[in-house]
Amino acid sequence: MRATKTTRGARRLAEPERVKVAASPDGRPGSIEGRRVEAIRDSWIVEDRWWTKAPIRRRYYEAVTAGGTVEVVYREPGGRWLRHR
Amino acid sequence: MVISAFINRFELAVAAGGSEALLGRAVALAPPEQGDRRLGEVSAAAEAQGVRKGLKLGEALGRCPELVLIPADPVGAAAEWERVLVALEAIGAAVEAPQLGQAMFQADGLLRMHGGLDRLIRATSKAIARPVRLGVAPGPFSAAVAAATARPRRPVRVAAGEQGARRFLAPQPVGLLVRDRRTEKLPQLLERFGIDRLGELAAMRRGDIADRFGKAGIAAHDLAQGRELKVVPRVIPLAIAESINLPESAGVGGPQLLHALDLLVGRLLARPERDGLTFRSVELSAELDSGGTWRRSVCFREALADRERIRIALSHMFDGLPAPARSLRLAAVQFGPPTADQKSLLDEPAEARIERLRQAILQTRAAAGRDSALRAVAVEPNSRLPERRMALVPFEV
Repeated sequence: MRATKTTRGARRLAEPERVKVAASPDGRPGSIEGRRVEAIRDSWIVEDRWWTKAPIRRRYYEAVTAGGTVEVVYREPGGRWLRHR
Repeated sequence: MVISAFINRFELAVAAGGSEALLGRAVALAPPEQGDRRLGEVSAAAEAQGVRKGLKLGEALGRCPELVLIPADPVGAAAEWERVLVALEAIGAAVEAPQLGQAMFQADGLLRMHGGLDRLIRATSKAIARPVRLGVAPGPFSAAVAAATARPRRPVRVAAGEQGARRFLAPQPVGLLVRDRRTEKLPQLLERFGIDRLGELAAMRRGDIADRFGKAGIAAHDLAQGRELKVVPRVIPLAIAESINLPESAGVGGPQLLHALDLLVGRLLARPERDGLTFRSVELSAELDSGGTWRRSVCFREALADRERIRIALSHMFDGLPAPARSLRLAAVQFGPPTADQKSLLDEPAEARIERLRQAILQTRAAAGRDSALRAVAVEPNSRLPERRMALVPFEV
């Protein structure tokens, strides 16, 4: 109950978070956090900020996992996988 | 006359466990995790190697690879500084404390009580009980500068009056203007104009300074001329508490404990220091028979001054009491406005509803921290990157 005096000020919503993805040979996600991917519903590329020193290039996948949940994950050029909540 | 006390590298010394731990070692307060990673206070040995407070961490390690970083201890420093201030107040001083490690007070009223300036200086030094630099001057700024230039156990005394302050300040660098909040941003500007000493600033025409540097310039000119503000003693935040010792049979729980709580609430409400204010949050604590203590904080949904409503809000807290209590204590931690928030039977104007919403937000923040009432706003709603579309910002009414 004790009040804290720290404040973080403005912060963004829907920040992507790291996720464990095992990719299949064609680069698509084969499993997400240990759950097998049943189907890829959609896939698209986002390229943005290409005019800056930190350009963004993401390959998005909207995947249905074995549990029935839909996950939106993407892969960065370095091979790192992230997920949007 | 004003006496100013300055404890060099106070936060660093507290964090290191004493000023002896800094001797001959290149030590610095570690920068905070967030932000651009700039160092806090640094030891003399680190300064000798070119490391300064505010330097970026990477650059500091480049200049001094053996630099030892100590985690900051802001809570410990604040507690230790509070001890120093209370000790100064105990000798009768009404203290102004502009920052950690720096305090000042008006000496005139204390001279007779302590038997002269020399004895008052000795009493000040004894009360602080750690190596301290002392300065005595006509005003707070010149006293602070005198303390900053003094050596431990060798107070610097400035002659009385505006004339004395002006003469003392004349050869001092303009960089010392950072010690006054009104002029803290001026030194760099002045140096860029080739004004290096306070004496040069004092010799300039007031109108020219006002044209070029505005209000801050006028304040700096006044300081350099020896025309200073008065010491503004700190206002100690109001905190009131009541406690009661419990007989053996009463501390277990049940009606006796509730009766004791009722008594405490009544006594707390009757305290004259409350001056009609309502209670926003209170702290209920107990000394346990088995040893140790128990404590719960309660933040009310709205600020209260009604004995019955406070008692009802607190009565269920005893469910978590782990053992019979030896004594019970109730403290008011935060206060609300003195006016009662009486609801209207008629339609309320928008201002009243907004005020109620504002109070609800204040209550939420008091209970759950300042990040607890936020608003989602669209930043770049059409961005293709989901994390750029919305942001959470503090909710303001």
